[in-house]
Amino acid sequence: MGELFRQYWIPAMLAEELPETDGPPVRVKLLSERLVAFRDSEGRYGLVDEFCAHRGASLWFGRNEQGGLRCPYHGWKYDVSGQCLEVPSEADNSSFCQNVKLTSYPLVKIGDVLWTYMGDAATQPPLPEFEWTHVPAEQTYTSKRWQQCNWLQAFEGGIDSSHVTFLHSGGLKTDPLFKGAKGNEYNLNDTKPFFEVADSDGGLFVGARRNAEDGTYYWRITPWVMPAFTMVPPRGDHPVHGHFWVPIDDENCWTYSFDYHPVRPLTETERQAMVDGHGVHSKNIPGTYRPMANMDNDYLIDREAQKRGETYSGVAGIAMQDASLQESMGPIVDRSKERLVPADSGIIKARQKLRKAAVALRDEGVTPPGVDPEHHRVRSAAVVLPQAESFLDSCRDAVKAVPGTAQHTV
Amino acid sequence: MSLATGRQSESARAASAAEARYRIDVPIAPARAARVVALDDRAAQVAARLAAHRWAHAEFLRADAVGELRELGGGPLPLTAALIGADVVVVLATEDGGRDTAERIGRHCFRYGITTAGVVLGQGFEADDAVAALRPYARVLLLSADESDVFELLTALRV
Repeated sequence: MGELFRQYWIPAMLAEELPETDGPPVRVKLLSERLVAFRDSEGRYGLVDEFCAHRGASLWFGRNEQGGLRCPYHGWKYDVSGQCLEVPSEADNSSFCQNVKLTSYPLVKIGDVLWTYMGDAATQPPLPEFEWTHVPAEQTYTSKRWQQCNWLQAFEGGIDSSHVTFLHSGGLKTDPLFKGAKGNEYNLNDTKPFFEVADSDGGLFVGARRNAEDGTYYWRITPWVMPAFTMVPPRGDHPVHGHFWVPIDDENCWTYSFDYHPVRPLTETERQAMVDGHGVHSKNIPGTYRPMANMDNDYLIDREAQKRGETYSGVAGIAMQDASLQESMGPIVDRSKERLVPADSGIIKARQKLRKAAVALRDEGVTPPGVDPEHHRVRSAAVVLPQAESFLDSCRDAVKAVPGTAQHTV
Repeated sequence: MSLATGRQSESARAASAAEARYRIDVPIAPARAARVVALDDRAAQVAARLAAHRWAHAEFLRADAVGELRELGGGPLPLTAALIGADVVVVLATEDGGRDTAERIGRHCFRYGITTAGVVLGQGFEADDAVAALRPYARVLLLSADESDVFELLTALRV
């Protein structure tokens, strides 16, 4: 699976983590590799092996100055490509440092995110084109949080529409980024959705259908782009949101959560709600990306709020409602103990697609779905359709990201 | 609380890999009695290949040209008899010929509280009518070009 992830551009960190040239380097752990990111004197981004090639000291202690990162132990200096520029103990005209290069990966700013590609440079794909990173800055907001479990069990929540009616029922009524939409009524009135799962070029579309007015169904359509990008169907004119799950190692992942509006700036109220941890975002411990409600404080569970009906599980906030249960499964859930039901077909199909893609890559070198930027141009949608209509047929335009056009929403 | 005492919270301790070792480890008994019903000839070929695998409680049927159900390679069975005792019915279709049977199965399952899943195999939308007939009743419809989806679904459902 690690090789599969190395076929894609993935979020490495938020751009806000490297706000200035010659600023402090930042430790980054991705796909079980320890790295350090920095922004040099010319503003170039670098993502290199965390440890100095000389004696293995961490370059997190490095001095970021004059076009490179210098290990403070003996002064070896590296540029953003990991190329060693200086080895002070060598003779002035020594070519030794030319032969010293740290492993490095490209780091590119697109939207609020710094993206990296950790695969073979010879097969580096074009840059990602997810709509949320390409709208003007005033129309988008991205946060991230540390989630203490394997990425897959976190991601699977993103294509599991049936939990919303239960776990997030409180949030549908009260969350400032969710409440007030007509679609919420359909959600709450019909707790037994029906599902349709269909292949897309980049992954899947999962349609969840609930009863609406006579002769109609309310459809919520969730796209998954391989390996780990999902979007939540929109509600009213609220911004559209979604996630990108990135493995840190086998037992931890970063959850990137975004909100954007395709055709208008986010209001100050909306943006503040996102900063405050509403909607799909979390309120994090200042200076970190660890949620304030986390497993070390039992997620600040409030059984009285649960009794009052304010929250379904006692945990506040949609993001932490999901994370608390996904982390409770253990660092890597034992799937041999599961009892899946037909409503889990999206998850069943997604696992199969990931496994098939990993095998095809390993055995035949087949490029997996979701690498082509064309596959990134998708949207979630929420629509009411006559009962006889297929969501795939009726929503072909609705699930396509077309810049400057509004989302299809109820 | 736990930070103040220096001890792990209940959630942190319970979610650890070490604690995962203490989960009760008993085999999961297959809990579903499944009927897999092929609606057309190509679907019947898929069903025959699936039937060659080992299943706990799955029976494989096909609809004949007049919409009657038959065991694979066997005689006709009334719909009610074919589905008696089933708690999940997986309907396979590759084209529209079986739409009436799909609707009959759907209605029956709805009436008797049997969960229904539909898998429509093929490229494009060769089975639009069968899908439309199943839609009101099937808890899930899987539209796929990949025959192995049916195997994966049945395996995941532990039938």
